Amino acid sequence: MIEFKGASVIAPDTGVTILQPTTLTLTERHISIVGANGGGKSTLVRLINGLIPPTEGSVEVDGMDVAKHGAEVRRRVGFLFTDPSAQLIMPTAVEDVMLSLRRSIKDKTQRTKAALDALEEIGLGDRADVSVSALSGGQRQLLAMAGVLAVTPSVIIADEPTTLLDLRWRAHVGALLRSLPVQLIECTHDLDSASRAERTLVVDNGQIAYDGAPAEAIQRYRDLMFGRTSRRDQQ
Amino acid sequence: MISTLGLFRPRDTPLHKAPAWFKVTLLVVTTMVVLVSSDAVTSIGIMCASLLLLASTMPPAKVTALTLLGTFVVGALSSALFMWRGDWWRAADVCADLIAIVSLALAVSSSTSMAAMLDFVATLARPLKAILPPDTIGLMFAIMLRALPEVAQIYAESRQAARARGLDRSLRAVIFPTTTRTVGFALDLGQAIHARGIGEEWDATDEVRSKREQRRAKKAAKTAQRLRGRSGSAPKRTTGTVAPPAAPGSRTTGAEMSREEAFDKLTAPRRDATAP
Repeated sequence: MIEFKGASVIAPDTGVTILQPTTLTLTERHISIVGANGGGKSTLVRLINGLIPPTEGSVEVDGMDVAKHGAEVRRRVGFLFTDPSAQLIMPTAVEDVMLSLRRSIKDKTQRTKAALDALEEIGLGDRADVSVSALSGGQRQLLAMAGVLAVTPSVIIADEPTTLLDLRWRAHVGALLRSLPVQLIECTHDLDSASRAERTLVVDNGQIAYDGAPAEAIQRYRDLMFGRTSRRDQQ
Repeated sequence: MISTLGLFRPRDTPLHKAPAWFKVTLLVVTTMVVLVSSDAVTSIGIMCASLLLLASTMPPAKVTALTLLGTFVVGALSSALFMWRGDWWRAADVCADLIAIVSLALAVSSSTSMAAMLDFVATLARPLKAILPPDTIGLMFAIMLRALPEVAQIYAESRQAARARGLDRSLRAVIFPTTTRTVGFALDLGQAIHARGIGEEWDATDEVRSKREQRRAKKAAKTAQRLRGRSGSAPKRTTGTVAPPAAPGSRTTGAEMSREEAFDKLTAPRRDATAP
């Protein structure tokens, strides 16, 4: 369970409020977050595993305060970025997954086997020894996912994981993410994917503008976006 | 761009079975020998042996051939002065030295996994453990290697972008975007490493880590207090049609409200919070 207790974020250099004080409890298995660019979606999800510390308030994962137990929380909360390239450190696929496992499996042979199993599970078994730079964008995202899943997290946060992918990979990566037996919190611009969640948050201007069923939330999001566009056109 | 990173393929050759320390030592010793020796026959002999060692590791053909071709061109250019003077043996020595070193380095890269190299660097860095954990030094080494092709790609893209804008000759149009994007990449990489929890297992103790995170939280609270004092009551980024913020302890309902009402509701708690 993830709890936001009045968590807010203010940019330290400019004093701009990026996220208003937010109080939320996230218990559903699949939660989607939609909103305009720069609206605060990424800030909201980055608070969950301590990538950004809250300026005020707190965030708790399974009762643990992220600010105090960041390392423990990050063991439970995996994070997928929009651009997987920055997430991949080692030169080949298998070595990158092995890097994630360095903490949990000390024996090298076992670690290699576990990494190969993780790659096989995600459908990259035949690409294990291929250079990361030779993988396609979709395969890189899958590899990043394998690196996250190898450490068996209970929550996965995906920050626009399909934005840079073509339609085929978008469908594949999306379906794979939804099939995982973990709590999935997905920031997305893909309304089709957002509509498949159990709960949808609309984040706008640094606050939760709507929180509820996906169909209504998406309608609300459309109203917000198109209302804003038509106002801009009138001006 | 030819990248020799990721050249490693798991195979069952003698060089693959050899430990990383042996291969790196062999590379260092051979490099010193070819540099010290000015005998062309010795250099050509070492070059042949290095090429044979490289072939024995069965590296990816295309990348290896292109790298060796590039090395040969550089070698030929380097020895051009000696050839012009008619000193053919010296020219052959210089060219053979270069090919020998590069082919042996390729043999080491294609037969040593990054994980094995990381362990080797960590072992080498053990005497420095009072300053930095050895595994962290190994990780730094891996990240440095990872950043090289990325920076080269950023540079190539910046050059293309400058050319597309008709700024072929502008150094600023290439260097500025390359620098800012490289810094951006470094920040993204750092955040990704943090998100993956890599390196955190090497923190001294849970107690130290916990204390550090408490310090960080304290600092964030202080910053919040300072900013509230500086920026006054109204938050700057509250424009457009918005819904009220979620009530503490409950899920938000998403009820409709006007822009003015929303603004009033948004700013009210901030005013209360800053009231003396």
